[in-house]
Amino acid sequence: MNLKAIFCLAVSLLFVGASSTLSLSAEKAKAKTITIGLSWNEKMHAMIQAWEDYMKKYGEQYGKENNVTIKWIVNVADSDPSQQASNIEDLINQKVDVIIARPHDAAAIGASIAAARKAGVKFITFDRKSSGVQPDAHVGADSFNQAISTSEAFAKILKDKGIKGKAIELMGDLRDMNAVQRSKGWHDVEKSKKQWTTVIQVPTEWDAQKFMTGTANALQAHPEANCMFIASDFAFSAVQTALENAGRWAPIGDPKHMYIASQDVNPQGYEAMKAGYIDVATTYDCYFHAVELVKVAAKLANGENLKGKDFLVAGRVATPANVETLDNMWARDYKD
Amino acid sequence: MKHAESPAAKAAAFLREYGFIAILLAVIVGFSVSTNSFMSMANITGLLHSSVPLAIWAAGLALVVMTGSLDISIGSVAFFANAVGVILMVRQGVSPAIAVPATIAIGALCGLINGIVTVYLKVNPLITTMGAMFIYRGLALQLTGSRVISVPQGLRAFGNFRLGPVYTDILIGLAFLVVMHVVHKKTPFGRHVMALGNNKETADRVGVRVKAVGLSCFVLSGLCAGIGGLFSVFQIGAVTLQMGTGLEFTAIAAIVIGGISLMGGEGSIFPNYVLGILTLGIIENGLNHLGASPYVYPFVRGGIILVAMYADSLKRNGKPRVLLTE
Repeated sequence: MNLKAIFCLAVSLLFVGASSTLSLSAEKAKAKTITIGLSWNEKMHAMIQAWEDYMKKYGEQYGKENNVTIKWIVNVADSDPSQQASNIEDLINQKVDVIIARPHDAAAIGASIAAARKAGVKFITFDRKSSGVQPDAHVGADSFNQAISTSEAFAKILKDKGIKGKAIELMGDLRDMNAVQRSKGWHDVEKSKKQWTTVIQVPTEWDAQKFMTGTANALQAHPEANCMFIASDFAFSAVQTALENAGRWAPIGDPKHMYIASQDVNPQGYEAMKAGYIDVATTYDCYFHAVELVKVAAKLANGENLKGKDFLVAGRVATPANVETLDNMWARDYKD
Repeated sequence: MKHAESPAAKAAAFLREYGFIAILLAVIVGFSVSTNSFMSMANITGLLHSSVPLAIWAAGLALVVMTGSLDISIGSVAFFANAVGVILMVRQGVSPAIAVPATIAIGALCGLINGIVTVYLKVNPLITTMGAMFIYRGLALQLTGSRVISVPQGLRAFGNFRLGPVYTDILIGLAFLVVMHVVHKKTPFGRHVMALGNNKETADRVGVRVKAVGLSCFVLSGLCAGIGGLFSVFQIGAVTLQMGTGLEFTAIAAIVIGGISLMGGEGSIFPNYVLGILTLGIIENGLNHLGASPYVYPFVRGGIILVAMYADSLKRNGKPRVLLTE
């Protein structure tokens, strides 16, 4: 090979290298950055950390797949609606593209939505809806359908066993729409399937101590009760204590077994279901909520008009047979 | 000159003093007649068992209130102290023999900090303990990583252990309250607590160590919060993230219902405080047994607190401020 040929080869290689570098830079230059402001009302639950982690994790994946970079600015309001309003104002001033807020107060969040709209910032409410001014979109769990899917599966379990249920219902906090919807779902299926009768409703206000005393009192008042609906299994050990004290703690298959339908599959619920004490539950799917949130935020950032639509994520029905094999279970990843 | 009281005035005074007990008895009779299960032995022991954590939790607060002060951080103190204790046991493998006293000590330490800021730095107790409430809860959330932490099975069994039909924690709780009562009624410290509640300046003039007594009550409040929290954690088997949330209001409600004045200088552990704790427990329990609508609970609870506050105000306004003597 003569010198001229070597020179031509070198120039060609340089050209190819330079052009590929240039095209890569151009591609990088084309990659859009979406800045999302995330306003938590509080961080008093592992689930909230799970949501945030999953959002960031899926955000990275979504960014790679769609050639965008997602930046997050996160703040927490410590259960104070006025602090949340101030935090959202900060996000607006930082000129984020989209705000995702989990409202602490369904009414108070309306003013923040209006302020964001005025500033041209898109707004998504998450998990809890606004009762006033409506956002560009809402993402959350479908609490009503969550209870419906659990209750229907529970009705089938009781029917297959030939059992007519007398149920204790442990309700959540009646100020929480999720709790109200779950109760409604349970009673709708009760009416339609006629597989059980709710003999007593106990409000727990999401207080673990009341899960225990409520169960104990209900069992005293209705010793004939043979099944339970628990609005959330986050404090299941409190229910376990009451059942143990009443001599009713027994796994599936034991004649003393109390049939239990619960909601969420939190870490304590997950363990109890694995051990065969909870018959059925519907998951509160943090991972899928996060996926939906990132997708909806990206659509809004790209100028799509979602007209205040609700994006509700249905949970998956879990039983002792499948609970260990369901993927993306936050209760597995975030248990102590 | 001493004025003889008319029978009507005597009856009014009796009703002011003991009217609430009569109402409570009527409520108990009402629940007993309406349900078959309310007056059962099993339910009574269950009711006492579930009342033990709150009874201990707020006993120190009762003393703080008797001095005319306030501590609204007890729920967060209990959460923080117990979060540390349970983390030591569960995550660090520390023996309960060390972790349990550590929990109580942390509760007392939190109370000491509240007391120093309130008594020595003269910051309003409401403001101090409100700030403390947020700080201790924030620390606890940070420590737990916002996760429910389950305690070992053995501790849950201990929290629900029975001697025959009686839960042992009822006996421990009773012994604890008796000690508190004796300290309050039979020791100079207890008399000084009441002196502070009646009038700080006068107490100071007669030689009461006002600051030391005030500080001690805050330490006791933190200590009781730590211990009460332990009973709760041992009963339910976990430190939950909602632990102690809103507890300060329940505790204050129990204190007021029992007839301990929020103005200080009035009340006792037996019968006032214990009566207040039991009243709340009985109402909750009775409504459960009746199968009352879930929406009725806050209404009844609020109504009872209102009546108790009104009774307290009647007692204050109806009582002669200066005794007329011959």
